[in-house]
Amino acid sequence: MARELKFESPSFAQRLKGMLGVDFYRLFHTPLFYIFLAIAAVIPAMILGTMGSEGAEQLYTNTWHIIAAETPLYVVNGISEYANMNMVFIFGGIMVSIFIGHDYKSGYVKQLFTTHAKKEDYMMSKSLVGAFSMACMCVTYLFGAMLAGLLVQTSFEVNAGSLLCAVLGKMVMSLGWASLYTFLNIIFRKYFGVSIASSFFFGTGILIIGAAAIVGNSSVLNIFLYGASVYACLSANFVTLIVCIACSAAWAAIYNVLGARILAKCDVY
Amino acid sequence: MNAIEIRNLTKSFGEKQALGGLNMTVPVGAIYGFIGENGSGKSTTEKIVCGLIHESGGSVTLFGKPHTDGDVRAKIGVLIEAPGCFPNYSVWNNMKLQAANLGVRNADEEIVKVLKLVRMEGAASNKYKNCSLGMKQRIGIAMALLGDPELLVLDEPINGLDADGMRIMREVLTDLAKKGRTIVISSHILGELEKIATHYGIVRGGKMLCEMTAEELDASCRTYVALQTKDMPRTKAVLGGKYSRVEEDEAGYLRVYDTTTPEEIVTHLYQNGILVGEIKTDKIGLEEYYIDLMKEGKR
Repeated sequence: MARELKFESPSFAQRLKGMLGVDFYRLFHTPLFYIFLAIAAVIPAMILGTMGSEGAEQLYTNTWHIIAAETPLYVVNGISEYANMNMVFIFGGIMVSIFIGHDYKSGYVKQLFTTHAKKEDYMMSKSLVGAFSMACMCVTYLFGAMLAGLLVQTSFEVNAGSLLCAVLGKMVMSLGWASLYTFLNIIFRKYFGVSIASSFFFGTGILIIGAAAIVGNSSVLNIFLYGASVYACLSANFVTLIVCIACSAAWAAIYNVLGARILAKCDVY
Repeated sequence: MNAIEIRNLTKSFGEKQALGGLNMTVPVGAIYGFIGENGSGKSTTEKIVCGLIHESGGSVTLFGKPHTDGDVRAKIGVLIEAPGCFPNYSVWNNMKLQAANLGVRNADEEIVKVLKLVRMEGAASNKYKNCSLGMKQRIGIAMALLGDPELLVLDEPINGLDADGMRIMREVLTDLAKKGRTIVISSHILGELEKIATHYGIVRGGKMLCEMTAEELDASCRTYVALQTKDMPRTKAVLGGKYSRVEEDEAGYLRVYDTTTPEEIVTHLYQNGILVGEIKTDKIGLEEYYIDLMKEGKR
Protein backbone atom coordinates (compact mmCIF):
# COMPACT_ATOMS: atom_id res chain seq x y z
CA MET A 1 0.00 0.00 0.00
CA ALA A 2 1.29 3.45 -0.88
CA ARG A 3 2.49 5.54 2.03
CA GLU A 4 0.50 8.68 2.63
CA LEU A 5 2.63 11.80 2.25
CA LYS A 6 1.92 14.62 4.65
CA PHE A 7 3.23 18.09 4.05
CA GLU A 8 2.74 20.86 6.56
CA SER A 9 5.14 23.64 7.30
CA PRO A 10 5.55 25.35 10.68
CA SER A 11 3.55 28.50 11.35
CA PHE A 12 5.10 31.96 11.15
CA ALA A 13 5.53 32.02 14.95
CA GLN A 14 7.25 28.63 14.95
CA ARG A 15 9.52 29.63 12.09
CA LEU A 16 10.51 32.92 13.70
CA LYS A 17 11.01 31.25 17.07
CA GLY A 18 13.38 28.72 15.49
CA MET A 19 15.32 31.34 13.59
CA LEU A 20 15.54 33.72 16.55
CA GLY A 21 16.70 30.82 18.70
CA VAL A 22 19.53 30.17 16.27
CA ASP A 23 20.50 33.83 15.95
CA PHE A 24 20.41 34.51 19.68
CA TYR A 25 22.43 31.36 20.32
CA ARG A 26 25.01 32.58 17.84
CA LEU A 27 24.99 36.09 19.32
CA PHE A 28 25.64 34.85 22.86
CA HIS A 29 28.31 32.43 21.65
CA THR A 30 30.22 34.88 19.53
CA PRO A 31 33.14 36.67 21.26
CA LEU A 32 32.54 39.64 18.97
CA PHE A 33 29.35 40.53 20.83
CA TYR A 34 31.18 40.79 24.15
CA ILE A 35 34.05 42.68 22.53
CA PHE A 36 31.62 45.28 21.21
CA LEU A 37 29.88 45.49 24.59
CA ALA A 38 33.26 46.17 26.15
CA ILE A 39 34.12 48.74 23.48
CA ALA A 40 30.78 50.46 24.05
CA ALA A 41 31.62 50.71 27.78
CA VAL A 42 35.21 51.80 27.30
CA ILE A 43 34.65 54.52 24.67
CA PRO A 44 32.71 56.97 26.91
CA ALA A 45 35.10 56.25 29.75
CA MET A 46 38.05 57.04 27.50
CA ILE A 47 36.51 60.28 26.25
CA LEU A 48 35.56 61.47 29.72
CA GLY A 49 38.86 60.25 31.16
CA THR A 50 40.91 62.06 28.53
CA MET A 51 39.29 65.40 29.31
CA GLY A 52 40.40 65.03 32.91
CA SER A 53 44.03 64.67 32.00
CA GLU A 54 46.31 67.63 32.34
CA GLY A 55 46.43 69.96 29.33
CA ALA A 56 43.54 68.24 27.57
CA GLU A 57 40.68 70.30 26.28
CA GLN A 58 37.59 70.40 28.51
CA LEU A 59 35.04 68.61 26.34
CA TYR A 60 32.27 67.91 28.83
CA THR A 61 31.23 69.50 32.11
CA ASN A 62 28.32 67.14 32.65
CA THR A 63 28.56 63.34 32.61
CA TRP A 64 25.29 62.96 30.70
CA HIS A 65 26.57 64.97 27.76
CA ILE A 66 28.50 61.88 26.73
CA ILE A 67 25.09 60.15 26.51
CA ALA A 68 23.24 62.82 24.55
CA ALA A 69 23.34 66.52 23.72
CA GLU A 70 21.31 69.05 25.71
CA THR A 71 19.17 69.89 22.70
CA PRO A 72 18.81 68.19 19.28
CA LEU A 73 21.97 69.15 17.35
CA TYR A 74 21.73 67.94 13.79
CA VAL A 75 24.46 70.36 12.73
CA VAL A 76 27.72 69.17 14.25
CA ASN A 77 30.30 71.80 15.06
CA GLY A 78 32.70 69.79 17.19
CA ILE A 79 33.55 66.36 18.46
CA SER A 80 31.78 66.95 21.78
CA GLU A 81 28.52 67.55 19.94
CA TYR A 82 28.98 64.37 17.98
CA ALA A 83 30.46 61.93 20.47
CA ASN A 84 27.56 60.46 22.39
CA MET A 85 25.54 57.29 22.62
CA ASN A 86 24.81 57.43 18.86
CA MET A 87 28.31 56.01 18.36
CA VAL A 88 26.87 52.69 19.49
CA PHE A 89 25.04 52.51 16.18
CA ILE A 90 28.35 52.54 14.32
CA PHE A 91 29.66 49.61 16.37
CA GLY A 92 26.33 47.87 15.88
CA GLY A 93 26.59 48.31 12.12
CA ILE A 94 29.98 46.63 12.01
CA MET A 95 28.69 43.83 14.22
CA VAL A 96 25.65 43.18 12.04
CA SER A 97 27.92 43.13 8.97
CA ILE A 98 30.20 40.53 10.48
CA PHE A 99 27.23 38.50 11.74
CA ILE A 100 25.54 38.35 8.34
CA GLY A 101 28.90 37.93 6.62
CA HIS A 102 29.40 34.72 8.60
CA ASP A 103 25.99 33.47 7.42
CA TYR A 104 27.19 33.62 3.84
CA LYS A 105 30.79 32.60 4.40
CA SER A 106 29.88 29.46 6.34
CA GLY A 107 27.15 28.44 3.92
CA TYR A 108 24.52 28.72 6.67
CA VAL A 109 22.16 30.66 4.40
CA LYS A 110 22.37 27.85 1.89
CA GLN A 111 21.39 25.38 4.58
CA LEU A 112 18.66 27.72 5.81
CA PHE A 113 16.97 28.65 2.56
CA THR A 114 16.67 25.10 1.31
CA THR A 115 14.19 24.58 4.15
CA HIS A 116 10.81 26.23 4.59
CA ALA A 117 12.49 29.40 5.91
CA LYS A 118 11.13 32.57 4.39
CA LYS A 119 13.16 35.58 3.41
CA GLU A 120 10.98 37.85 5.58
CA ASP A 121 11.76 35.70 8.61
CA TYR A 122 15.46 36.04 7.92
CA MET A 123 15.27 39.83 7.68
CA MET A 124 13.17 40.05 10.81
CA SER A 125 15.35 37.73 12.83
CA LYS A 126 18.58 39.53 11.92
CA SER A 127 17.00 42.93 12.60
CA LEU A 128 15.73 41.86 16.02
CA VAL A 129 18.99 40.26 17.07
CA GLY A 130 20.96 43.24 15.76
CA ALA A 131 18.62 45.60 17.64
CA PHE A 132 19.03 43.60 20.82
CA SER A 133 22.82 43.70 20.58
CA MET A 134 22.80 47.46 20.01
CA ALA A 135 20.39 48.00 22.90
CA CYS A 136 22.79 46.01 25.10
CA MET A 137 25.63 48.21 23.88
CA CYS A 138 23.57 51.28 24.86
CA VAL A 139 23.33 49.87 28.39
CA THR A 140 27.07 49.17 28.71
CA TYR A 141 27.77 52.59 27.20
CA LEU A 142 25.56 54.14 29.88
CA PHE A 143 27.36 52.28 32.66
CA GLY A 144 30.76 53.07 31.17
CA ALA A 145 29.86 56.76 31.07
CA MET A 146 28.55 56.78 34.65
CA LEU A 147 31.63 55.03 35.98
CA ALA A 148 33.93 57.41 34.13
CA GLY A 149 31.87 60.37 35.38
CA LEU A 150 32.37 59.18 38.95
CA LEU A 151 36.09 58.77 38.39
CA VAL A 152 36.68 62.19 36.80
CA GLN A 153 34.03 63.81 39.00
CA THR A 154 31.97 65.54 36.34
CA SER A 155 28.53 66.83 37.21
CA PHE A 156 25.62 64.36 37.30
CA GLU A 157 22.96 67.04 37.25
CA VAL A 158 20.11 66.09 34.92
CA ASN A 159 16.36 65.87 34.52
CA ALA A 160 15.96 62.16 35.25
CA GLY A 161 12.78 61.85 33.16
CA SER A 162 14.42 63.40 30.12
CA LEU A 163 17.50 61.25 30.56
CA LEU A 164 15.33 58.14 30.73
CA CYS A 165 13.41 59.20 27.60
CA ALA A 166 16.69 59.92 25.80
CA VAL A 167 18.27 56.58 26.67
CA LEU A 168 15.08 54.65 25.92
CA GLY A 169 14.67 56.63 22.69
CA LYS A 170 18.16 55.68 21.54
CA MET A 171 17.63 52.07 22.54
CA VAL A 172 14.38 51.99 20.58
CA MET A 173 16.21 53.40 17.56
CA SER A 174 18.37 50.27 17.57
CA LEU A 175 15.66 48.40 15.68
CA GLY A 176 15.61 50.89 12.81
CA TRP A 177 19.40 50.93 12.61
CA ALA A 178 19.67 47.14 12.76
CA SER A 179 17.11 46.88 9.94
CA LEU A 180 19.11 49.38 7.85
CA TYR A 181 22.32 47.40 8.38
CA THR A 182 20.61 44.11 7.60
CA PHE A 183 19.25 45.64 4.41
CA LEU A 184 22.69 47.00 3.41
CA ASN A 185 24.28 43.63 4.08
CA ILE A 186 21.68 41.90 1.95
CA ILE A 187 22.48 44.23 -0.93
CA PHE A 188 26.25 43.78 -0.58
CA ARG A 189 26.09 40.18 0.64
CA LYS A 190 28.72 39.02 -1.81
CA TYR A 191 31.14 41.81 -0.90
CA PHE A 192 31.97 41.66 2.78
CA GLY A 193 34.28 44.70 2.75
CA VAL A 194 31.68 46.86 1.03
CA SER A 195 29.08 45.70 3.57
CA ILE A 196 31.19 46.86 6.49
CA ALA A 197 32.16 50.11 4.77
CA SER A 198 28.54 50.93 3.91
CA SER A 199 27.40 50.13 7.46
CA PHE A 200 30.09 52.41 8.82
CA PHE A 201 29.26 55.15 6.33
CA PHE A 202 25.54 55.21 7.12
CA GLY A 203 26.14 54.61 10.84
CA THR A 204 28.09 57.85 11.17
CA GLY A 205 24.97 59.74 10.08
CA ILE A 206 27.11 61.71 7.66
CA LEU A 207 24.26 62.12 5.17
CA ILE A 208 21.97 63.72 7.75
CA ILE A 209 24.81 65.83 9.14
CA GLY A 210 25.44 66.97 5.58
CA ALA A 211 21.76 67.71 5.02
CA ALA A 212 21.64 69.58 8.32
CA ALA A 213 24.45 71.82 7.10
CA ILE A 214 22.03 72.92 4.37
CA VAL A 215 18.65 72.98 6.13
CA GLY A 216 19.96 73.81 9.61
CA ASN A 217 18.77 72.34 12.91
CA SER A 218 15.42 71.35 11.45
CA SER A 219 13.13 68.88 13.21
CA VAL A 220 12.15 67.59 9.74
CA LEU A 221 15.30 65.50 9.99
CA ASN A 222 13.60 63.49 12.75
CA ILE A 223 11.96 61.35 10.12
CA PHE A 224 15.39 59.80 9.45
CA LEU A 225 17.19 57.34 11.67
CA TYR A 226 20.08 59.59 12.58
CA GLY A 227 17.76 62.59 13.02
CA ALA A 228 15.49 60.74 15.44
CA SER A 229 18.52 59.36 17.28
CA VAL A 230 19.79 62.92 17.78
CA TYR A 231 16.30 64.04 18.80
CA ALA A 232 16.55 61.69 21.78
CA CYS A 233 18.55 64.23 23.81
CA LEU A 234 18.65 65.49 27.38
CA SER A 235 15.60 67.70 26.79
CA ALA A 236 13.60 64.67 25.57
CA ASN A 237 10.11 63.94 26.78
CA PHE A 238 7.45 61.34 26.22
CA VAL A 239 6.69 62.76 22.76
CA THR A 240 10.34 62.31 21.84
CA LEU A 241 10.07 58.67 22.77
CA ILE A 242 6.94 58.28 20.64
CA VAL A 243 8.74 59.93 17.68
CA CYS A 244 11.65 57.51 18.13
CA ILE A 245 9.35 54.50 18.30
CA ALA A 246 7.42 55.62 15.20
CA CYS A 247 10.58 56.42 13.22
CA SER A 248 12.34 53.21 14.21
CA ALA A 249 9.29 51.04 13.49
CA ALA A 250 8.61 52.72 10.14
CA TRP A 251 12.18 52.35 8.88
CA ALA A 252 12.40 48.81 10.24
CA ALA A 253 9.28 47.92 8.27
CA ILE A 254 10.55 49.61 5.10
CA TYR A 255 13.99 48.00 5.23
CA ASN A 256 12.58 44.60 6.13
CA VAL A 257 10.13 44.63 3.24
CA LEU A 258 12.78 45.87 0.78
CA GLY A 259 15.37 43.39 2.04
CA ALA A 260 12.94 40.47 1.83
CA ARG A 261 12.02 41.48 -1.72
CA ILE A 262 15.65 41.66 -2.79
CA LEU A 263 16.35 38.26 -1.24
CA ALA A 264 13.29 36.80 -2.93
CA LYS A 265 14.29 38.17 -6.33
CA CYS A 266 17.96 37.23 -6.22
CA ASP A 267 19.71 33.89 -6.16
CA VAL A 268 20.63 33.00 -2.61
CA TYR A 269 23.91 31.27 -3.14
CA MET B 1 2.62 11.10 -8.37
CA ASN B 2 6.24 11.98 -9.03
CA ALA B 3 8.55 13.38 -6.39
CA ILE B 4 10.10 15.78 -8.89
CA GLU B 5 8.72 16.88 -12.22
CA ILE B 6 10.70 19.40 -14.20
CA ARG B 7 9.50 20.72 -17.52
CA ASN B 8 11.43 22.95 -19.94
CA LEU B 9 13.65 24.32 -17.22
CA THR B 10 15.91 27.13 -18.32
CA LYS B 11 18.47 29.14 -16.42
CA SER B 12 20.86 31.78 -17.64
CA PHE B 13 23.64 33.49 -15.76
CA GLY B 14 24.00 36.69 -17.74
CA GLU B 15 24.90 35.67 -21.28
CA LYS B 16 25.68 32.09 -20.33
CA GLN B 17 22.87 29.58 -20.58
CA ALA B 18 23.29 26.86 -17.94
CA LEU B 19 20.03 25.02 -18.64
CA GLY B 20 18.30 24.96 -21.98
CA GLY B 21 14.89 23.33 -21.54
CA LEU B 22 15.68 20.47 -19.19
CA ASN B 23 13.01 17.87 -18.46
CA MET B 24 13.28 15.48 -15.54
CA THR B 25 10.95 13.04 -13.81
CA VAL B 26 11.81 11.41 -10.50
CA PRO B 27 9.27 8.89 -9.21
CA VAL B 28 8.50 8.68 -5.50
CA GLY B 29 10.78 6.19 -3.76
CA ALA B 30 13.47 6.26 -6.45
CA ILE B 31 17.18 6.61 -5.97
CA TYR B 32 17.81 8.82 -8.95
CA GLY B 33 21.37 8.94 -10.21
CA PHE B 34 21.87 12.34 -11.79
CA ILE B 35 24.87 12.14 -14.09
CA GLY B 36 26.67 14.58 -16.29
CA GLU B 37 29.97 16.22 -17.05
CA ASN B 38 31.23 19.20 -15.08
CA GLY B 39 29.22 22.24 -16.12
CA SER B 40 26.44 20.16 -17.65
CA GLY B 41 23.82 21.74 -15.38
CA LYS B 42 23.44 19.17 -12.59
CA SER B 43 24.19 21.51 -9.70
CA THR B 44 22.18 24.32 -11.25
CA THR B 45 19.17 22.01 -11.53
CA GLU B 46 19.60 20.84 -7.96
CA LYS B 47 19.97 24.39 -6.68
CA ILE B 48 16.74 25.38 -8.43
CA VAL B 49 14.92 22.37 -6.98
CA CYS B 50 16.21 23.33 -3.53
CA GLY B 51 15.19 26.97 -3.89
CA LEU B 52 18.70 28.40 -3.80
CA ILE B 53 18.51 29.95 -7.24
CA HIS B 54 15.63 31.04 -9.43
CA GLU B 55 14.81 29.47 -12.75
CA SER B 56 14.68 31.68 -15.83
CA GLY B 57 11.83 29.63 -17.28
CA GLY B 58 9.96 26.35 -17.08
CA SER B 59 8.33 24.64 -14.13
CA VAL B 60 9.42 22.56 -11.17
CA THR B 61 6.93 20.65 -9.06
CA LEU B 62 7.72 18.58 -5.98
CA PHE B 63 5.12 15.98 -5.03
CA GLY B 64 2.65 17.79 -7.26
CA LYS B 65 3.17 21.19 -5.63
CA PRO B 66 5.26 24.14 -6.83
CA HIS B 67 8.82 23.83 -5.53
CA THR B 68 8.51 27.16 -3.72
CA ASP B 69 5.61 25.90 -1.60
CA GLY B 70 6.51 26.17 2.10
CA ASP B 71 4.74 22.92 3.02
CA VAL B 72 6.74 20.86 0.59
CA ARG B 73 10.01 22.68 1.35
CA ALA B 74 9.69 21.61 4.97
CA LYS B 75 10.19 18.03 3.85
CA ILE B 76 13.33 18.37 1.76
CA GLY B 77 16.78 17.41 2.97
CA VAL B 78 19.69 18.89 1.08
CA LEU B 79 23.42 18.54 0.78
CA ILE B 80 24.72 20.81 -1.95
CA GLU B 81 28.51 20.96 -2.24
CA ALA B 82 29.53 21.15 1.46
CA PRO B 83 27.23 21.39 4.50
CA GLY B 84 26.62 24.95 5.70
CA CYS B 85 28.08 24.75 9.18
CA PHE B 86 29.75 27.22 11.50
CA PRO B 87 33.38 26.10 11.74
CA ASN B 88 33.91 27.08 15.37
CA TYR B 89 30.82 25.28 16.67
CA SER B 90 30.73 21.62 17.53
CA VAL B 91 29.04 19.13 15.25
CA TRP B 92 26.29 18.76 17.84
CA ASN B 93 25.64 22.52 18.05
CA ASN B 94 25.55 22.85 14.28
CA MET B 95 23.00 20.05 14.18
CA LYS B 96 21.00 21.74 16.95
CA LEU B 97 20.88 24.99 14.99
CA GLN B 98 19.62 23.25 11.88
CA ALA B 99 17.07 21.34 13.96
CA ALA B 100 15.85 24.64 15.42
CA ASN B 101 15.48 26.13 11.94
CA LEU B 102 13.53 23.09 10.82
CA GLY B 103 11.36 23.16 13.94
CA VAL B 104 12.26 19.55 14.73
CA ARG B 105 10.49 18.21 17.81
CA ASN B 106 12.62 16.11 20.19
CA ALA B 107 15.68 17.58 18.54
CA ASP B 108 18.20 15.82 20.78
CA GLU B 109 16.78 12.38 20.07
CA GLU B 110 16.56 13.10 16.38
CA ILE B 111 20.17 14.32 16.22
CA VAL B 112 21.44 11.24 18.05
CA LYS B 113 19.46 9.09 15.59
CA VAL B 114 20.81 10.68 12.42
CA LEU B 115 24.38 10.87 13.71
CA LYS B 116 24.20 7.17 14.54
CA LEU B 117 22.90 6.44 11.05
CA VAL B 118 26.02 7.94 9.50
CA ARG B 119 28.27 6.52 12.26
CA MET B 120 29.21 9.97 13.51
CA GLU B 121 27.87 9.78 17.07
CA GLY B 122 31.41 9.73 18.43
CA ALA B 123 32.28 13.01 16.72
CA ALA B 124 29.35 15.04 18.07
CA SER B 125 31.53 17.09 20.40
CA ASN B 126 34.23 17.76 17.77
CA LYS B 127 34.49 21.24 16.38
CA TYR B 128 33.25 21.21 12.81
CA LYS B 129 36.46 22.83 11.54
CA ASN B 130 38.49 19.94 12.95
CA CYS B 131 36.53 17.28 11.04
CA SER B 132 38.02 15.61 7.96
CA LEU B 133 36.43 16.01 4.52
CA GLY B 134 34.82 12.59 4.80
CA MET B 135 33.43 13.39 8.24
CA LYS B 136 32.05 16.69 6.97
CA GLN B 137 30.27 14.88 4.16
CA ARG B 138 28.70 12.48 6.64
CA ILE B 139 27.67 15.40 8.86
CA GLY B 140 26.10 16.98 5.80
CA ILE B 141 24.10 13.82 5.16
CA ALA B 142 23.05 13.68 8.81
CA MET B 143 21.95 17.30 8.61
CA ALA B 144 19.97 16.58 5.45
CA LEU B 145 18.24 13.71 7.25
CA LEU B 146 17.01 15.93 10.09
CA GLY B 147 13.25 16.39 10.12
CA ASP B 148 12.58 13.07 8.37
CA PRO B 149 12.55 14.47 4.80
CA GLU B 150 10.54 12.91 2.00
CA LEU B 151 13.03 14.06 -0.61
CA LEU B 152 16.80 14.13 -0.32
CA VAL B 153 18.87 16.09 -2.81
CA LEU B 154 22.53 15.18 -2.51
CA ASP B 155 25.21 16.77 -4.63
CA GLU B 156 28.39 14.68 -4.72
CA PRO B 157 27.77 13.19 -1.25
CA ILE B 158 30.39 10.47 -1.56
CA ASN B 159 33.23 12.83 -2.40
CA GLY B 160 35.99 12.42 0.13
CA LEU B 161 34.55 9.27 1.67
CA ASP B 162 36.74 6.25 2.27
CA ALA B 163 35.62 2.73 1.31
CA ASP B 164 33.89 2.23 4.65
CA GLY B 165 32.22 5.61 4.41
CA MET B 166 30.90 4.76 0.95
CA ARG B 167 29.52 1.46 2.21
CA ILE B 168 27.77 3.21 5.10
CA MET B 169 26.36 5.78 2.73
CA ARG B 170 25.07 3.04 0.42
CA GLU B 171 23.36 1.32 3.31
CA VAL B 172 21.78 4.52 4.60
CA LEU B 173 20.46 5.59 1.21
CA THR B 174 19.17 2.15 0.27
CA ASP B 175 17.44 1.88 3.63
CA LEU B 176 15.79 5.28 3.16
CA ALA B 177 14.57 4.34 -0.31
CA LYS B 178 13.07 1.16 1.11
CA LYS B 179 11.10 3.35 3.50
CA GLY B 180 9.68 5.21 0.51
CA ARG B 181 11.94 8.26 0.59
CA THR B 182 13.06 9.72 -2.71
CA ILE B 183 16.73 10.45 -3.26
CA VAL B 184 18.37 12.46 -6.02
CA ILE B 185 22.07 11.92 -6.00
CA SER B 186 24.63 13.38 -8.36
CA SER B 187 28.07 11.88 -8.43
CA HIS B 188 31.04 11.34 -10.68
CA ILE B 189 31.80 8.05 -8.93
CA LEU B 190 29.57 6.07 -11.27
CA GLY B 191 30.67 2.69 -9.99
CA GLU B 192 29.23 3.55 -6.57
CA LEU B 193 26.11 5.09 -8.05
CA GLU B 194 25.45 1.97 -10.07
CA LYS B 195 25.25 -0.06 -6.88
CA ILE B 196 22.27 1.86 -5.49
CA ALA B 197 20.47 3.84 -8.20
CA THR B 198 17.07 2.67 -9.38
CA HIS B 199 16.73 5.42 -11.98
CA TYR B 200 19.15 7.47 -14.01
CA GLY B 201 19.12 10.84 -15.67
CA ILE B 202 22.01 11.78 -17.92
CA VAL B 203 22.36 15.47 -18.56
CA ARG B 204 24.53 17.21 -21.11
CA GLY B 205 24.81 20.87 -22.07
CA GLY B 206 21.87 21.84 -19.87
CA LYS B 207 19.51 19.29 -21.43
CA MET B 208 18.42 15.82 -20.40
CA LEU B 209 20.09 13.37 -22.74
CA CYS B 210 18.13 10.38 -21.47
CA GLU B 211 16.28 9.05 -18.45
CA MET B 212 15.97 5.35 -17.72
CA THR B 213 15.44 2.83 -14.98
CA ALA B 214 18.25 0.58 -13.77
CA GLU B 215 16.59 -2.30 -15.67
CA GLU B 216 16.47 -0.29 -18.87
CA LEU B 217 20.11 0.62 -18.45
CA ASP B 218 20.97 -3.02 -17.93
CA ALA B 219 19.13 -3.93 -21.11
CA SER B 220 20.85 -1.14 -23.05
CA CYS B 221 24.32 -2.09 -21.91
CA ARG B 222 26.08 -4.07 -24.60
CA THR B 223 27.59 -7.47 -23.87
CA TYR B 224 31.12 -8.20 -25.03
CA VAL B 225 33.55 -11.07 -25.10
CA ALA B 226 36.83 -10.49 -23.26
CA LEU B 227 39.88 -12.70 -23.82
CA GLN B 228 43.59 -13.06 -23.21
CA THR B 229 46.20 -14.90 -25.26
CA LYS B 230 49.98 -15.12 -25.16
CA ASP B 231 50.29 -12.98 -28.30
CA MET B 232 47.93 -10.08 -27.80
CA PRO B 233 49.09 -7.84 -30.70
CA ARG B 234 48.64 -10.67 -33.23
CA THR B 235 45.33 -11.68 -31.67
CA LYS B 236 44.11 -8.11 -32.03
CA ALA B 237 45.14 -8.05 -35.65
CA VAL B 238 43.43 -11.38 -36.39
CA LEU B 239 40.22 -10.41 -34.60
CA GLY B 240 40.32 -6.96 -36.20
CA GLY B 241 40.17 -8.66 -39.57
CA LYS B 242 36.85 -10.28 -38.73
CA TYR B 243 35.12 -8.04 -36.16
CA SER B 244 34.36 -4.35 -36.43
CA ARG B 245 35.11 -3.29 -32.84
CA VAL B 246 38.00 -4.86 -30.97
CA GLU B 247 39.53 -2.87 -28.10
CA GLU B 248 42.02 -3.51 -25.34
CA ASP B 249 40.78 -2.67 -21.83
CA GLU B 250 42.66 -1.38 -18.79
CA ALA B 251 43.00 -4.91 -17.34
CA GLY B 252 44.83 -6.12 -20.44
CA TYR B 253 41.91 -8.04 -22.01
CA LEU B 254 40.87 -7.76 -25.62
CA ARG B 255 37.20 -6.96 -25.92
CA VAL B 256 35.07 -7.92 -28.91
CA TYR B 257 31.88 -5.86 -28.91
CA ASP B 258 30.31 -7.41 -32.04
CA THR B 259 27.49 -9.93 -31.72
CA THR B 260 29.32 -13.20 -31.36
CA THR B 261 30.02 -16.10 -28.98
CA PRO B 262 33.19 -17.16 -27.15
CA GLU B 263 33.08 -20.47 -29.09
CA GLU B 264 33.09 -18.69 -32.42
CA ILE B 265 36.05 -16.53 -31.38
CA VAL B 266 38.04 -19.48 -29.99
CA THR B 267 37.48 -21.40 -33.26
CA HIS B 268 38.48 -18.43 -35.39
CA LEU B 269 41.69 -17.86 -33.41
CA TYR B 270 42.53 -21.59 -33.38
CA GLN B 271 42.22 -21.62 -37.16
CA ASN B 272 44.79 -18.79 -37.18
CA GLY B 273 47.18 -20.64 -34.88
CA ILE B 274 46.37 -18.74 -31.67
CA LEU B 275 45.45 -20.48 -28.44
CA VAL B 276 43.13 -18.66 -26.05
CA GLY B 277 44.27 -18.52 -22.41
CA GLU B 278 41.12 -17.02 -20.86
CA ILE B 279 37.76 -15.98 -22.29
CA LYS B 280 34.54 -14.65 -20.75
CA THR B 281 31.43 -12.68 -21.62
CA ASP B 282 30.52 -9.55 -19.69
CA LYS B 283 28.42 -6.39 -19.88
CA ILE B 284 29.62 -2.82 -19.92
CA GLY B 285 28.85 -0.93 -16.71
CA LEU B 286 27.26 2.46 -16.15
CA GLU B 287 30.61 4.20 -16.47
CA GLU B 288 31.35 2.79 -19.91
CA TYR B 289 27.77 3.27 -21.02
CA TYR B 290 27.99 6.89 -19.95
CA ILE B 291 31.35 7.41 -21.68
CA ASP B 292 29.96 5.85 -24.88
CA LEU B 293 26.91 8.07 -24.68
CA MET B 294 29.04 11.15 -24.23
CA LYS B 295 31.22 10.14 -27.20
CA GLU B 296 28.13 9.64 -29.35
CA GLY B 297 26.85 13.04 -28.27
CA LYS B 298 30.09 14.69 -29.27
CA ARG B 299 30.16 13.04 -32.69
